[in-house]
Amino acid sequence: MEASSLGWFLNMAVSVGLSIAILVLVSLGLSVLFGMMGIINLAHGEFLMFGAFGTLAGVRGGLPLPVAMLVSTLAVAVFGWIVERALIRFLYGRLMDSMLATWGLSLIMSQGAVFVFGATTQGIATPGGSIYLGGYSVSAYSVVLILAALSLLAFVYAVFTRTKYGVMARAAVQRPQMASAVGIDPRHINSLTFMFGAALAGAAGALLAPMVGVMPTMGEAYIARAFMTVVVGGSGVLTGTAAASALLGGVENVVSYLFTPFLGQAALLVLAICLVRVLPTGISGRLRRKL
Amino acid sequence: MNRAFRWLALCCLAFSTQYPAIAADKEPIVVGSVLDETGALNVYGKAMADATKLAVKSINDAGGLLGRPLKLVTYDAQSDNAKYTSYANQLALRDHASVIMGGITSASREAIRPVADRNKTLYFYNEQYEGGVCDKNVFLTGIVPSQQIAPLVDWAIKNGKKKFYVVAADYNYGHISTDWVKQYVTKAGGSVVGAEFIPLDVSEFSSVISKLQEAKPDVVLSLLVGGNHIAFYRQFASAGLSSRMQIVSATFGLGNEQVVLGPKEASGIVVAFPYVQEDSSEDNRKFRAAWTKAYGANYPYITDSAAAVWNGWHLWALAVTKAGSTDREKVIKALESGVSFDGPSGKVTVDGPTHHVVQNVHIARANENHGFTVIGEEKSVPPSYEQSVCDLVARPNTAKQFTPSAKAN
Amino acid sequence: MRLIGCAVVALVALALGFAMPEFATFQATNWALFGLLAVSLTLVWGHGGIFSFGQGAFFGIGAYAYSVAAMNILPVTNETVSSVVVAALAAAALAALVGYFIFYGNVGDVYVGIITLAMTLVLFTVLSSTADPKYHIGEAQLGGYNGISGVPPITLPFGESGTTLTVVQSYSTVILVCASIVAGLYVLLHRPFGRVLTALRQNELRTQLLAFDVRFRKLVVFTIGGAIAGIAGAFYAAWAMFISPVVFGLALAAQVVIWVLVGGRASFAGAFIGTLLVQSLSFALGGGAGDATPIVLGVVLIAVVLFLPSGIVPALARFLVAKRTSGSAGSAAADASVPQEQRFAELPFRSESGGATLSATGLEKRFGGVRAVQTATVSFGQKGVHCLIGPNGAGKSTFFNLLVGRFPPNRGAIELDGRPITHMNSHDRVRNGLGIKLQVASIFTELPVRENLWLAAYGRRRDEAVADLRSAEMLDWLALAHRADDSAGSLSHGQKQWLEIGMVMAAEPSVVLLDEPTAGMTREETARMAAMVRLLGQSVSVIVVEHDMEFVRALDVPVTVFHQGNVFASGSLEELRRDERILDIYLGRQGHGHVA
Repeated sequence: MEASSLGWFLNMAVSVGLSIAILVLVSLGLSVLFGMMGIINLAHGEFLMFGAFGTLAGVRGGLPLPVAMLVSTLAVAVFGWIVERALIRFLYGRLMDSMLATWGLSLIMSQGAVFVFGATTQGIATPGGSIYLGGYSVSAYSVVLILAALSLLAFVYAVFTRTKYGVMARAAVQRPQMASAVGIDPRHINSLTFMFGAALAGAAGALLAPMVGVMPTMGEAYIARAFMTVVVGGSGVLTGTAAASALLGGVENVVSYLFTPFLGQAALLVLAICLVRVLPTGISGRLRRKL
Repeated sequence: MNRAFRWLALCCLAFSTQYPAIAADKEPIVVGSVLDETGALNVYGKAMADATKLAVKSINDAGGLLGRPLKLVTYDAQSDNAKYTSYANQLALRDHASVIMGGITSASREAIRPVADRNKTLYFYNEQYEGGVCDKNVFLTGIVPSQQIAPLVDWAIKNGKKKFYVVAADYNYGHISTDWVKQYVTKAGGSVVGAEFIPLDVSEFSSVISKLQEAKPDVVLSLLVGGNHIAFYRQFASAGLSSRMQIVSATFGLGNEQVVLGPKEASGIVVAFPYVQEDSSEDNRKFRAAWTKAYGANYPYITDSAAAVWNGWHLWALAVTKAGSTDREKVIKALESGVSFDGPSGKVTVDGPTHHVVQNVHIARANENHGFTVIGEEKSVPPSYEQSVCDLVARPNTAKQFTPSAKAN
Repeated sequence: MRLIGCAVVALVALALGFAMPEFATFQATNWALFGLLAVSLTLVWGHGGIFSFGQGAFFGIGAYAYSVAAMNILPVTNETVSSVVVAALAAAALAALVGYFIFYGNVGDVYVGIITLAMTLVLFTVLSSTADPKYHIGEAQLGGYNGISGVPPITLPFGESGTTLTVVQSYSTVILVCASIVAGLYVLLHRPFGRVLTALRQNELRTQLLAFDVRFRKLVVFTIGGAIAGIAGAFYAAWAMFISPVVFGLALAAQVVIWVLVGGRASFAGAFIGTLLVQSLSFALGGGAGDATPIVLGVVLIAVVLFLPSGIVPALARFLVAKRTSGSAGSAAADASVPQEQRFAELPFRSESGGATLSATGLEKRFGGVRAVQTATVSFGQKGVHCLIGPNGAGKSTFFNLLVGRFPPNRGAIELDGRPITHMNSHDRVRNGLGIKLQVASIFTELPVRENLWLAAYGRRRDEAVADLRSAEMLDWLALAHRADDSAGSLSHGQKQWLEIGMVMAAEPSVVLLDEPTAGMTREETARMAAMVRLLGQSVSVIVVEHDMEFVRALDVPVTVFHQGNVFASGSLEELRRDERILDIYLGRQGHGHVA
């Protein structure tokens, strides 16, 4: 089958879309924690890793893949709640200390995963097979991931605007004293928010598990880029993450394609530096979007 | 003044932890190993560390060396390069090791080398690498491109696949090996239609897969390394390319890729290593029995790196026996005279002038059971490039790494 | 004092170097160098308030620069000392470049961390790809991921081909270098530069408003920090005889932060102690803890954060050294007194400035769609007091901020003494004679009262002796001499306001801008403030934005009324009080020829 230009275009669209979707998935959890709680969670990659391993365990236990992903996400959420109660709640307002403590947590989590699962574990193959787009074939799962990322953005939007928790959380972020003056318990909200952020990280890991090699150290590869995406995006959880992912992910993918993946990585870093310099409050700050 | 005394107290406290419980006994022969058992490189390091312990134990079970038992001191470099310098120094100066074996990445080897050289401690690097190291004090038992790439390329060409596309990890090993690929492919009558270098922390390959579909090679030669790169094989298969392009690889399997991937994703990939666990030789059967006894039947896979470590220890042991001493100069001389060991991968012989080994190379194909099936063998493949540039018998003062592009220019 | 402590520790360390077995000395060299790297972060962060995630990058640049320079220069000069200098300069140059980018771009705290992190990752990515032999600088192959092997150790220019230092000699050199650098830093921080830096870290805005160029100072600190890290890197490459791009990775960047946090953020001793503890722990674990090493490290880090949050050295300090009474519980409650009225017969010292005119012409400031100030034109005389009043939302504060230089106007011009200052930033305006007191007392709450005044005086005169004198005079005049060594934060609210006025005056301004100076004051205090303002008005121009009508009346000076961003009317308070339109504005009434 000869490659047609429509096929090339569709293929590029899926490829770029996938890069952006992965950045969205990987950064959303971190953005919730940073944007709504001012916490830097350096163990974010490890929460993601737990979500991936949980999915593996679920599938091996006989659950169908989507169910395993869901169960794994919930398990990571519960783990997030435990971590918040045991550690994070002492660290609000202490940005540097939260970095240090979560770095320690990440060491424990990743070595813990080695103890439980071993350094090498059997993974899950990508479901879905491939689809043909005018001369190019792409993995059907890539499209699934893109849709998943969009759905997750929509889900987060719904949670923050339609649920009682979401409205309270946004109030607590914008005016903490006022919020507690009207009876919103910040500690309760914070627990839920951390859980939510952890769950999002776990969901990202669950969704990525069929696409990459799941290993205890897989979190490391994502943390730096998630970080940059969150900072470039600013504190608006949705606008920021979506805009920054689109910009950084898109540029990286296109440059990788036109030149080499090394230049793609370099381009992402340089672009991030320039954007932070020019937009010190991030893209969402510039657009004056709070969510 | 309080401050000063506090400093003093703390310094003393810290340094006192470094004083050894003096194992000053002359009886055992102290030997040392530095590997990454934790951190990102533990996938490689674990099997190598296990092989180390088993090798030393097997030497001791056979009566030790020169009537003395071996005492193994191991350090975990925690995937932190700076620690290699520290631990290698420790082994040389504090533990007085007769030999240091260790290092996984080439960077860690290059960190150990100057320390071992300065402290005049013999050093073995037992891991596949990009080739070219020429140092009187160093012996290298891993396979090098001049041994590995040719059989791999030959297999592809023989099976009618002439258009190659190289996907390599973006660092020294990947670049140098790719140069070798280009040389051998051209010599064998094929063509390299593209080469892509992927940084080590990339796990998303859609742009590469797009380019592959545009270039339409017959065979993809993979030199990808590390946990993140496993995703390539997964994404390649899920894009439906497995039926259209054959993957051959010089690195697939070192990190247990075939265990992590599913049967449909891995099967069909062809590799070339000295050691393949499924090899049916008698020596391998005994080796595997010993391994299973020590580490259980559920061990993920005995990698080629583990076998290289095993070879390294036994070659050194044979040299010590031949030299009748652990003195470095004598052992080096013994090694250079051509010590030979019948190991699980077949006969391994030290090549005196280059300090590398002549060994067999097995061609294998990944099967549906998270393992490999042997489909071919080349016996006694010499390290031809190293032989052409390095002669430590004639020029013993060399201590550098040769690279093909430099030579070509 | 600290220098003696430093010397003692250095001597002890040197002695240990000869006493310890060689392997220990070798390892100790490594820890000392990492400690020096931690010192660079302590300087930049603990003292400069700049959270740099990139000290590892300067360390790496220093290491690579040394390696490349040494491999090229050694054969020619038989020494590598010059290579160390090259390394320091290279690291300093990069730090200056990055610092300029960051500080002159007004990037905020966390984002400085991000930019420095991104910078270090870019360097990692770039240097990892230099594997090809074509990437070489003279004799030195960059080597990509494999790094540069065979880096020459420190070599001195004696003897035929130079003398390479032995392990013990290298160690001693490193100890001496560390001790010299730390001693140098102690001296630097003791000098005015250091005192201003401490103030800057605590209250950047007020520091700027005392005529200190905050951006430049941060740049200087950052560059020095970079140079120190570069020197540490150079010696490190010489120690390991090898360098690879791994020094630019996230792991080392995070480790430096961990060392500093464990030891105590602002303590140089803490930098070494934190590094020593963490590194020796992970070193010891690697020799025996097997797989559990990361877990033990993780637990230790979490324990430090939860139980020793300010680091080990401060915790030890609190534990071992008796607390100095910092004047809190005892004296604070007792004395909330303010200066007596009779002191306001004359100013504490003869100011060299004789007042200046300030005029605003056609100023306009928009925020989005809102025009907070529209075509405001006012002139203030060279001496005398002038009040700006108006209801809430009239634009007084925005106008005030335009005069201060908080932001530039969309249109219009401001002239000080005939010179245009429209586009000058705040610290330059203060240097040119503007004195600014903000509504919320902006002082250095953690510094002693005396130091607050000293900084203000130094900001104008840049002479320590004069600043000492001025601050003493000011203390007397403000009747705060008995609280001179107490921290400014322990003063009562009214006293804080007085202190800030005192600081403004100590800077000898020609035009004083006061934003609601009597906010939160008692009636007595307000009366005294009025007396003080009148006194000031005799020698310089004072512009007061106020809400308190009692105060305005007590002052009995020309008044300008703002309304909806415009200058509505000017005159004496008596005149304006008879103007019905003014009443309209204040009472929100319609009618009486009301100007919309």
